[in-house]
Amino acid sequence: MSKGDVLKPKAERWYQSKRFKRFRRNPLAIAGVMILIFFATLAILAPALTADRMGRACLRDLHLGRTEAVTVLRNPLSGAFWRASFAPPKSCYHIPRKGYSPRPKAPSKKYPLGLASGGYDIYYGIVWGARTAFYIGILVVGIVLIIAITVGGLAGLFGGWLDNVLMRLVDIVYSIPSLVLAMVFASIFGRGLAKTMVAIALVAWPIYARMLRGNILLVKSQDYISAAHAVGTGNARLFFKHILPNSIGSVIILASLDIGAIVITASTLAFLGLGADVGYADWGQMISFARSWISNPGGEPLKYWFVWFWPSMAIALFVLGWNLLGDAVRDALDPRS
Amino acid sequence: MLNYIIRRALQIPLVLFVLSLIIVGLMQLLSPQQRAAAFITSDKQIEHLDQIIEKYHLDEGFIVQYKLWAKEVLHGNLGFSRISKEPVTATVRKKLPASTELALSAFIPIVLMGIWLGTLAATHRDGLLDQVLRVVAIIGWSLPTFVVAIWLVAWVYGGLGWFGIGRLPNSLLIDLATGNFHPHTGMFTIDGILNGRLDVTWAALVRLVLPATALVIVVSAGIMRVMRSSMLDELGKDYVRTARAKGLPEGRVVYKHARRNALIPVITMAGPMLGRMIGGIVVIELIFNFPGLGEWAAKAALQLDMNTLLAFVLLIGLIMATVNLLVDIAYVVVDPRIRYE
Repeated sequence: MSKGDVLKPKAERWYQSKRFKRFRRNPLAIAGVMILIFFATLAILAPALTADRMGRACLRDLHLGRTEAVTVLRNPLSGAFWRASFAPPKSCYHIPRKGYSPRPKAPSKKYPLGLASGGYDIYYGIVWGARTAFYIGILVVGIVLIIAITVGGLAGLFGGWLDNVLMRLVDIVYSIPSLVLAMVFASIFGRGLAKTMVAIALVAWPIYARMLRGNILLVKSQDYISAAHAVGTGNARLFFKHILPNSIGSVIILASLDIGAIVITASTLAFLGLGADVGYADWGQMISFARSWISNPGGEPLKYWFVWFWPSMAIALFVLGWNLLGDAVRDALDPRS
Repeated sequence: MLNYIIRRALQIPLVLFVLSLIIVGLMQLLSPQQRAAAFITSDKQIEHLDQIIEKYHLDEGFIVQYKLWAKEVLHGNLGFSRISKEPVTATVRKKLPASTELALSAFIPIVLMGIWLGTLAATHRDGLLDQVLRVVAIIGWSLPTFVVAIWLVAWVYGGLGWFGIGRLPNSLLIDLATGNFHPHTGMFTIDGILNGRLDVTWAALVRLVLPATALVIVVSAGIMRVMRSSMLDELGKDYVRTARAKGLPEGRVVYKHARRNALIPVITMAGPMLGRMIGGIVVIELIFNFPGLGEWAAKAALQLDMNTLLAFVLLIGLIMATVNLLVDIAYVVVDPRIRYE
């Protein structure tokens, strides 16, 4: 018998932990995960699901003919399937149009969710919009974390007046309703998906910077940091090797659970006309296409329900999925419960 | 305490200063021509763009421009709003009452709903009602305001034909403009009473129902959850056990003893709640055709009307800072154990 077997207790895997068990037994958490899996499937399989209705530019950039696309993109054994699923050309995010009529068209066999005002295919927009939603959420969280690490890290590490100034900045940005500030930033930056994402990130970072700063202060007071310092570890190494890894975990988890809130802000900006370019597959923008067909158009109430119903359901469910998951994770992480 | 209040109040101008620095700073990303657009009031002036740029030093550095802007603001001139075609301050005076009226009409139901449902959830802890309310709260929290607003417009106004959108019916607006109706407060519900025109009050109230409901749906969930957890905290305390032990009826224990103390943490929600309301009002006003500050700002954002946006953000900053200060004061008033240095 080797020495290790005697001394080491069996390591507990993460899925064996009490926290995970509590999470797994929470029906709301499971519901949230299911909703997100549904949207993730839509997002990943978007090219296959919409192969029969892709726009001309998208097919060109995929180097596929119209009939060829349907067979190739729906065949998981083909290289094109994987290329299109994981790195589709940008042009595929633009919703193809069938005619330019301002009047929406009711669902039909070819267009199961109908055509929005301007001939935009609603089904295509919903499917590719799922991709956009994940894309926005993940990228914005990334930018937010970079800002939060910079600001929170500087404040927590150096303290003093720098800490004071940065935390006052946090207070100020945090005190303004995020939509209001994001709206102003997006207006200055101009239209475009990337610009909108920067605008949202510039508003969403304060709470995480503050959280990280708090964690850093806590870690800094631990003995092992003093020990590392005593053996002559440099400041940069101390920060990146010892302090940051031990203080960022919960910040990353909580920030990524915020994707729901980020998608709310993003879709609201898009609805206001401050989002991606016109015609981009984005749920918020699809609702803004529906603007003039919502209340009693032409004396026939709810005749054009499909133009606003599907995109609004998509946003609501997507955010609900994140919030159900987030609620359960927060519960599981809460030391009081 | 007084010291603390004065110090906090003195910080408010600082907050506004930093906010204006951020936004004027970001405006440097725009070209001088784009910034000059703020000064244009008629098509003819477009030809004189270069003169405008020179006159207002729009091609100079950030510090020069910030100084010029600040000088005007300190003289009470917040600039000209391109959207409303009048000075910014005049529009704010006209539109603030509309938004205030909407916010106030939603505020009371939000607070009452939040407190009532939060108490219910706490007293039925882990029971069916608690679970249902929890799901309802998460759903409410997950719905974007504009989605709720659109559902209400489509189903209740469009489908059922109930209530209405806008502030007043057009016929009534024309009637008021021609008659001798004195806008004392700018809020139609109150002005109607003051002028003895109860039909105006009624019409205004009817049109407030849907936008206020949209706000209640998206905002009250947050209060409910805070109320629930603070109520649970209180119910677990010794004085509650004592009250029960001496034989007080459960209703008295919950409502007279525990709930009063549980309300204290809810006061801190006033700031975040107001923030959520303001964000909601921007979108709701736009969808319900409600001519208030939010609708004005949303349109300004689309047209890059920087004077309007800057004024709007500063106004919101002022409101938020003031409310946060009031919350801190209220905290001490309701709970004498808290002291500020």
